[in-house]
Amino acid sequence: MTYFPEEVVEHIFSFLPSHSDRNTVSLVCKVWYQIERLSRRAVFVGNCYAVRPEHVVLRFPNVRALTVKGKPHFADFNLVPPDWGGYAGPWIEAAARGCVGLEELRMKRMVVSDESLELLARSFPRFKVLVLISCEGFSTDGLAAIASHCKLLRELDLQENDVEDRGPRWLSCFPDSCTSLVSLNFACIKGEVNSGSLERLVARSPNLRSLRLNRSVSVDTLSKILVRTPNLQDLGTGNLTDEFQIESYFRLTNALEKCKMLRSLSGFWDASPVCVPFIYPLCHQLTGLNLSYTPTLDASDLTKMISRCAKLQRLWVLDCISDKGLQVVASSCKDLQELRVFPSDFYVAGYSAVTETGLVAISSGCPKLSSLLYFCHQMTNDALITISKNCPNFIRFRLCILEPKKPDAMTNQPLDEGFGAIVRESKGLRRLSISGLLTDKVFMYIGKYAKHLEMLSIAFAGDSDKGMMHVMNGCKNLRKLEIRDSPFGDVALLGNVANYETMRSLWMSSCNVTLKGCQVLASKMPMLNVEIMNELDGSSEMEENHGDLSNLSKVEKLYVYRTTAGARDDAPNFVKIL
Amino acid sequence: MASAGESGDGADGKGVTTITIISSDNEAFEVLEAAASMSLTIRHLIEDGCADGGIPLPNVTAGILAKVLEYCSKHVAAVAASSEAGSSSNAADAAAAPEKEEDLASFDKAFIDVEQDTLYDLLMAANYLEVKGLLDLACQKVADMIKGKTPDAIRQTFKIKNDFSPEQEEKIREENQWAFE
Repeated sequence: MTYFPEEVVEHIFSFLPSHSDRNTVSLVCKVWYQIERLSRRAVFVGNCYAVRPEHVVLRFPNVRALTVKGKPHFADFNLVPPDWGGYAGPWIEAAARGCVGLEELRMKRMVVSDESLELLARSFPRFKVLVLISCEGFSTDGLAAIASHCKLLRELDLQENDVEDRGPRWLSCFPDSCTSLVSLNFACIKGEVNSGSLERLVARSPNLRSLRLNRSVSVDTLSKILVRTPNLQDLGTGNLTDEFQIESYFRLTNALEKCKMLRSLSGFWDASPVCVPFIYPLCHQLTGLNLSYTPTLDASDLTKMISRCAKLQRLWVLDCISDKGLQVVASSCKDLQELRVFPSDFYVAGYSAVTETGLVAISSGCPKLSSLLYFCHQMTNDALITISKNCPNFIRFRLCILEPKKPDAMTNQPLDEGFGAIVRESKGLRRLSISGLLTDKVFMYIGKYAKHLEMLSIAFAGDSDKGMMHVMNGCKNLRKLEIRDSPFGDVALLGNVANYETMRSLWMSSCNVTLKGCQVLASKMPMLNVEIMNELDGSSEMEENHGDLSNLSKVEKLYVYRTTAGARDDAPNFVKIL
Repeated sequence: MASAGESGDGADGKGVTTITIISSDNEAFEVLEAAASMSLTIRHLIEDGCADGGIPLPNVTAGILAKVLEYCSKHVAAVAASSEAGSSSNAADAAAAPEKEEDLASFDKAFIDVEQDTLYDLLMAANYLEVKGLLDLACQKVADMIKGKTPDAIRQTFKIKNDFSPEQEEKIREENQWAFE
């Protein structure tokens, strides 16, 4: 094999799509390391602080697609203080210096500035794909730079970002020569866009397959756009209020009928029940439906639509669908694989829109269900046991009972047995979020059965350090562990420190770990960054406590991750790296 | 000895041009020009008029050359058949197209199921002769032998010496695991 010319070895490597296999071949011998690093086209960095951006670019100068993730997942629940970090700037700057062939950049939970977007737009002549998920720190001016300068742009996909609105100008910045768009998603942009510019942009984008509009786009505009996009596969509507012109109604229904390739639908902002029947002709061909931004539709409107979607595989919906609505889903959508039920903003005490009944119905009607996110106000062990047997193929199971420590609604017992059944039956489970009243026993089950578990989220659960120890000792494939408000302390933290080398990160907030415990961890495991964060008042308090007691003070927030980069130099003053 | 440009007589009377290819151990193979032209290297030689008297390939032995030419002949016939089916208004022909694709796929699968040494020789020959389909097929097969294995297992399979020091290897392994997975 060593007599193969390098281009042959490189060609063989091109048939290894997984990062893991590419990492493996880089270790075989020095020549393979060189060939691999110079030919790697896609680089995935799961934690932006695990490696220096300059080093990534030095090792992989020919990278075309870079993915970087920043803040820990609990940032989504506002548990990570603002200004914690996760800055995109150093990554874009390093890439601009070291790999100008970059074509694709995907970032999640990072802080991106307009200056960085400007640099991005000007530095990479072949840039094609920008995906920003749950990012912040930029405005529509940054988007204007991207639109203006990325002449080959194919995808601009903005999901759930917090973007400062500086007016509609950005969309008009796509030059007339830009005809390459395949995917445009600006659903999270809060402000208006110029409908004429939007219509013209769509008209000159014959390859457009995915288009997600924001709330400001009217039915009238939508109707004009859809006439131009018969090959659209994924559509996020604008607002669907009942204020529109009658010609728009006809145009819309005609256009929708021609969209034979449309498989996925979202948006439905401010949807009026009057508008929903427009969608009916499409329902039979839909595989994905996201109604989670539509509190204006009630269970009856929702079920009238969903009952027509026999091919549905993915459904995101608000809990106003109710248990009865979920029963309709169960009897209509036999191919359902992914379900997310989100909480509506209002909660009337004692009234639960969805309960264990709805979920049991789903499990019995949809045996292919493999991915679940379910917000509710009550659950029972019996229900979970039934669900576990009906659906043994869960890969992701996230149950969020909104009231902390809520017991079984029938028996008042902890929900240990129910979750135990889930991990026992779904042998391929990779992601789990648990909630409700839970003792150390549930962790014993998780450690014993969840052998493929990669990510575990714990809130208000467990009795003692033993709980966390079960997980640390049993879940050999664990990558991310995030815990809040649970009674785990230094013993658990230090119980199996070797694990932290094989895990991407550990988050613990409002638990019982102390400063001393964290210091011991940091000294035993020098390859970890042990970040502690106390509330701004708390940090000065820690400085002032000079006595022995200071070491026993509890750490409010702890974030531990392995890194090749050492302590980061951009930490704010409320973050202490031990 | 047949040479390039001479027309043989096909059974239907249509002219079919054949080419002679000569292996490194002096065995001669007569094949359709269309099949031989699946090798870019050979195609260029034909176009440059160097094919008279046969094309010598000093780097490819008879055994391997026979296999490469078998691949090319099978694939060139498949291309001809599918273009016939495409231009034919016969519904049966059109319906048979996916089946023929399946035939080709199972031919490829069986074809590349060979001993490791033969696989390497095929790979080198496909690279030298620039037969893209065969090169991809052979590379995919080798890649399949790599997938999911540890570095040590790969070294054993391909008889490669580990020239990293333990410290170097550890450093790369850590970086791979901590940063890039």
